[in-house]
Amino acid sequence: MVSVKEITGAEGLSRDQLLDLYYKMLLARTVGQRERMLNRMGKGPFAVTGEGHEALQVGTAYPLKPGHDWIVPYYRDIGVALTIGQTPLDLLLAHLSREGDISSGGRNMPSHFSDPRLHIVSGSAPVATHFPHAAGIALASKLRGLDELSVCYTGDGGTSTGDCHEAMNFAGVHKLPVIFVIENNQYAISVHVRKQFAVEDISIRAEGYGFPGVTVDGNDVLAVYAAMKEAVDRARRGDGATLIEGKTYRLVPHTSDDDDRRYRSREEVEEWTGKDPLVRYRNWLKENDVADEAKLDSLHEHAAREVDEATEQAEKAPTPKPESALDHVLVEERLAG
Amino acid sequence: MAITKEAIKTFGLTEEQLLEMHYKMLLARAVSVRQRVLQRMGKGPMTFSGEGHEAVQVGTAFALRPGRDWVFAYYRDVAVALTVGMTPVEILRGFFARRDDISSGGRNMPSRFSHPDLRIVSGSAPIATQIPHAVGAALAAKLRKLDEISVAYFGDGATSTGDWHESMNFAGVHKLPMVFVCEFNGYAISVPWRKQAAIENVAVRAAGYGFPGVTLNGNDVLEVYGAMTEAVKRARSGEGPTLIEAKTYRLQPHSSDDDDRRYRTREEVEQWAQKDPIVVFAMSLHELGVLDDKSEQELNDRVNREVDEATDKVEQESTPEPESALRHVFVEGGASNG
Repeated sequence: MVSVKEITGAEGLSRDQLLDLYYKMLLARTVGQRERMLNRMGKGPFAVTGEGHEALQVGTAYPLKPGHDWIVPYYRDIGVALTIGQTPLDLLLAHLSREGDISSGGRNMPSHFSDPRLHIVSGSAPVATHFPHAAGIALASKLRGLDELSVCYTGDGGTSTGDCHEAMNFAGVHKLPVIFVIENNQYAISVHVRKQFAVEDISIRAEGYGFPGVTVDGNDVLAVYAAMKEAVDRARRGDGATLIEGKTYRLVPHTSDDDDRRYRSREEVEEWTGKDPLVRYRNWLKENDVADEAKLDSLHEHAAREVDEATEQAEKAPTPKPESALDHVLVEERLAG
Repeated sequence: MAITKEAIKTFGLTEEQLLEMHYKMLLARAVSVRQRVLQRMGKGPMTFSGEGHEAVQVGTAFALRPGRDWVFAYYRDVAVALTVGMTPVEILRGFFARRDDISSGGRNMPSRFSHPDLRIVSGSAPIATQIPHAVGAALAAKLRKLDEISVAYFGDGATSTGDWHESMNFAGVHKLPMVFVCEFNGYAISVPWRKQAAIENVAVRAAGYGFPGVTLNGNDVLEVYGAMTEAVKRARSGEGPTLIEAKTYRLQPHSSDDDDRRYRTREEVEQWAQKDPIVVFAMSLHELGVLDDKSEQELNDRVNREVDEATDKVEQESTPEPESALRHVFVEGGASNG
C-alpha cells in the first residue's frame, strides 16, 4: 500500500482518514435512506435527508474539533452530525421521536440536530434563524479568548434572509471566528436559484462583508475539505470569517412531504445522479490505490449493519412519557443567585 | 469632478435648472436651520437635520418625475421632499404637528415625509423598513407595465439590516425599476462606519445582488445628478436597479436630542464644513457666470422670505382636534363587502 505522501490530491490526509471520510459519507447516505424508508413504512413522522450532500457535509465537518468547535447545522446535515460524532442511533432515536433522543427528547422535528457534548446547537425550523446564533457564539468565543470556532450551515435559500445578512455583516465587522457554509443545491424546496438571487456564485457576497468567499465543487469531498481546512486555519489564527459555497444537488425530494417531480425534470435529477459524490469518491479511492473493491464493499456492509442495528435498537426504545411534555417549558427549580 | 460648461452640457441642464438646484439646496438648508431654531425655542418637539446632505438629496430627486415616480424617503430627506414638490409650509406643518399636515395630520414624527399626490410614501421610524415598501412599489410598476420607478433613500446604518438585504436581493432577482440611494454620512447616529461594516464602500455589495453599484462624492450635486440620471434611465428601460452610494457628512447632530460632541471631534466636523455642498456649488455657479453677488443675494432673500412666511403662517394654524386622535385607526363608515 502506498504511503500518505504519495497520494496526490489527498490534502495531507492519511489512508485511514481518507477511508474514514468515505465511511462517514456512506453512513450518512445509509441513515438518510433508512429514515425515508421508515417514514414510508409509517414508522417515522417525517424525513428530511441529505442524499447528494455527503461530500459537502463530511468534507466541511472533518477539519473541525468535535466537542470543542460549535456546530450550528441546518436540517439537511446528517453527514455533519455523524462526522462530528452523533451516531446512527442518536439520529434514529430523533427520527422515531424516542425518549432517549439527545436532540430534543422526541420533541423537535427530526434532523434538528442537537448534542450538548458535541457542541451541536439546536436550531429552529424557520430557515436561517440559526445564523445570528452562530455569530453570537463566535463573538463569545472571541471575547472570552477561547480557541473555539463556530460553523453555520444553510442552503441556498437561507442566503436571502435578513438573518443571514445581519450575521455575516456582524461577523465581518468583529472579525469573528466563524465559517458560513452554504450547501447550494440549487433549490429552496421548489424555488430555483435563478429566482433566489441574480448572481452565479453566492460566495461573491463575502466581499461585501470584508472576508473571503470561495465556491467549491460540493461533490468533491477532498476539494471541500481543502477549502474548509483553510477557513478553519484562518478563523483559528484570528483572521476572521470565511464563506464557503459548495455547489451540489439534493438527489431526493426536499422531505418526505415533497414531490420534486413538480419542479425538477427527471433528466436533471438523472444527470446529477451521475455525479453522485459517493460514487465519485469511491472511484478516486480505487484509482489512487487507497482501497480496493473488496475493502470498499466491506465498508458498505459495515455501514448497512450499523444502521440496521441502530434501527432495531431505536424501534425498541420507549417513547417519551406523556407527562414529560410539560418538562423544559418553565423553570423547574428556582435558579441559584 | 470639475464643473465646466462642457461637463454641464453632458447632463443637458439649462442655467435655469442649475439655479433651481441651487435654490432647492438653499431652501432645504433654511428649512432645517429654521426647524432647529424653533425646536430650541420650545415650539416644535423634535428635529432631524439634513444639513450637509443637500447635494445628494437634490441631485437625486432632481432626476425624478414628481407625482409619477415613487419616493420612499427617510427622515433626513428635507431636500428630497422639497425637490419633489413639497413646500416649506408642508414641511413645517409636519414639524409643528398641525391639523393640516399632509404627511400625517400631525400624528407622525416630524420629517416622516408623506404626500399622496407627489407619491412620497409614508415611512415608519424603525430604520430601513421603507426599503421593502419601495421594492414592492417597483414590483407593482413592473407587473402593471407602468413607466414608474421607485427610489429608496436610507443612511449607511440601514445597510446592516435584514430589510435592506432582502430588498436588494429581491430587486436584483426581479430586475425591478428602482434606485437605492445610500446617503453615506459615516455615522449611524453615533456608530461610525468602521463599526457598521468591514468594507470601505457599501456599493461593492451591489455585485452580490447582480446589479451595478456606484460610489460618488455626495457633496457634488452634479456628480450625484449625473449618476442618478443614468440609474433612472437604466430603471426606466427595464434593465433593473442601481445602488448609489453618495459619500457626504451630516453637519449637525443626528437630531435635536443628540449631542454629537460625544462621538465626533470638532476638527472632523470643521473639516467637512469646509466641503459644504452649498458653498461648493455656489462657487462653481459663480465661476460659470450663472450666479453673481447680486443674484445670489436675491436668491438668499427669496429663500429666507419664503421660510419666514411659511413659519408665520404655520405657527398660527390650528393643532388637530383631540378627538381626531381616534381617526384613521379603524375603517370609517363601514367597509365595502366587495
